[in-house]
Amino acid sequence: MPILEARSLTKTFRRPDKASGFKGAVKHLVQRKYKNYTAVDGIDLSIEPGESVAYVGPNGAGKSTTVKLLTGILRPSEGTVRVMGRDPHTERIANAHDIGVLFGQRTQLWWDLPVEESLKLLKHMYGVSDADYQARIAKFDELLDLGEFMPALARTLSLGQRMRADLACALIHAPKMVYLDEPTIGLDISVKDRLRAFLRELVDDGTTLLLTSHDLADIEEVCERIVVIDKGAIAYDGPIQQLKAHYITTKAVHLILEGPADVPALAGKFPDYEWAAGESPSEVVVTYESNRFTTAEVLGGLTSQLAPRDLSLSEPSIEDVIRRLYAGELTK
Amino acid sequence: MSSALAVDRAFAVIAFKRRLAYKTQWLVGLVLGGGAMLVSMAMWRELLSGGALSGYDWDAMRAYVIIGFITATMVFGAADWQIADRILDGHVAVDLTKPVDFQRARAAEFVGSMCSTIPTVAVGVAGAWLLFDPPGPASATAGVLTAASLVLVFPLAFGITYLTVLVCFWTKRYLGVMWLREALLAFFSGMMIPLAFMPSWLQAVAWALPFPHFTTTPSAIYLGHVDTAGALGLLAAEAAWAAGLWFGARLVFNHAVKKVTVHGG
Repeated sequence: MPILEARSLTKTFRRPDKASGFKGAVKHLVQRKYKNYTAVDGIDLSIEPGESVAYVGPNGAGKSTTVKLLTGILRPSEGTVRVMGRDPHTERIANAHDIGVLFGQRTQLWWDLPVEESLKLLKHMYGVSDADYQARIAKFDELLDLGEFMPALARTLSLGQRMRADLACALIHAPKMVYLDEPTIGLDISVKDRLRAFLRELVDDGTTLLLTSHDLADIEEVCERIVVIDKGAIAYDGPIQQLKAHYITTKAVHLILEGPADVPALAGKFPDYEWAAGESPSEVVVTYESNRFTTAEVLGGLTSQLAPRDLSLSEPSIEDVIRRLYAGELTK
Repeated sequence: MSSALAVDRAFAVIAFKRRLAYKTQWLVGLVLGGGAMLVSMAMWRELLSGGALSGYDWDAMRAYVIIGFITATMVFGAADWQIADRILDGHVAVDLTKPVDFQRARAAEFVGSMCSTIPTVAVGVAGAWLLFDPPGPASATAGVLTAASLVLVFPLAFGITYLTVLVCFWTKRYLGVMWLREALLAFFSGMMIPLAFMPSWLQAVAWALPFPHFTTTPSAIYLGHVDTAGALGLLAAEAAWAAGLWFGARLVFNHAVKKVTVHGG
């Protein structure tokens, strides 16, 4: 039975329809006009317990609005949501006991108090026992180095510390379902790595995770399934590996030759491959279809005839695939 | 302590600590509130030097001004901005993911922040007592009922403040709403001038509103302007307003929460 199930989930907002400039402002004051804007458009989503799902899409695609619908903050205009069998909006308090939420752009720490005070208040809110609280704080300290800034005022924390503290706040009650909305936004690479390792451990422990992020490394390292949303509707829903296998059909070899690369001549000599100049005059990029040629036969042919000084292999990233999905070049 | 009360207490303590985190603000509150009380005392001493006006002589007015100082400090010192800011900047979204009743949590915070004004009230009242030696309550019963009236100011102040803060869901601004509320409260409560100095029609308007219970009710009980039955009637009206505002705010919130839009992250 799914832990989360959304059917035909739709959210429409009313926005002022105002012309620009002074005239537009005056006209809107006298005669107000509004336009309906559909942020989420008939989404069907089902998540099984223990799944880790990436929910990605370009800015304004409806990711955060979906999270707010799933967490009960917003009431759907149409459609239904059930989280652990409950309607998260009408049964908000009961639902909140079982979920953890982190909004990367909004802290849940009390700004002018030590981090520890915020966590203690959350302990009371969720009815966490002293023993569980101590055990979880110890674990967060071990994985997120929480102890170093527990006594610090929230407003004095760096962004990375703030995000780690917010993550602890979202997980202090060991929720079954966790929503993370841009948890690594603005963080440096070392803090991101730490957070990702922490999230992998969380998923390994059986927590169900829905993650929205613009950082595709978050997604590849933490999630098994990806849901791509664009203009409020789902453009792709399936395993990340399947997305890659289905859409990543080319690979590339970067060759560094002994002298300058003559790209047109090379293209004439090896017409089955696509040739492009590299970053330096002696570098050339050879792209081939991985379902037609094996890497071994491509490398064998190229190295025997061109004797490159160096070479490296690359394949398009998930980021390239998603970029093409957004651009409408790929279909479900 | 039940777990729900423990959560209320935790919210109140957090709000109390947040207020005390800004010591300068506490000092400014004391200086401004104490200064306003001193100016008021000087003005009324001059005005009443020729004898009593509208039932208030200098003795009664000293007690009245001190009670006005207590309620004004408690009500205007509470942290209504913090609730309004959370609605306006979208942090209400975070609050709605917590397993607590939104209104009850805000009430606990409000009471906590009102309690943070107690040191200001204590210092101000002690100073005023030393300087002006006001009369005691009309009777021991009046003293107890005055204290009850001051306790009821907590839920009453929360009800009015919370309702006006909820208006932010529609107005998307708070400053004007706050100014309007504070002006109405200062005028119709009798904090600026006792209601007895106003024409009878304006007094009738005031008594049709909850505001007189902030200053006029506790001072009328304290000074013995009403007998015990009258005092109990005023307390019942004050409690009824507090309860009415509480349940009215629930209805408004249930409607307001549908207005949550919180676009973007």
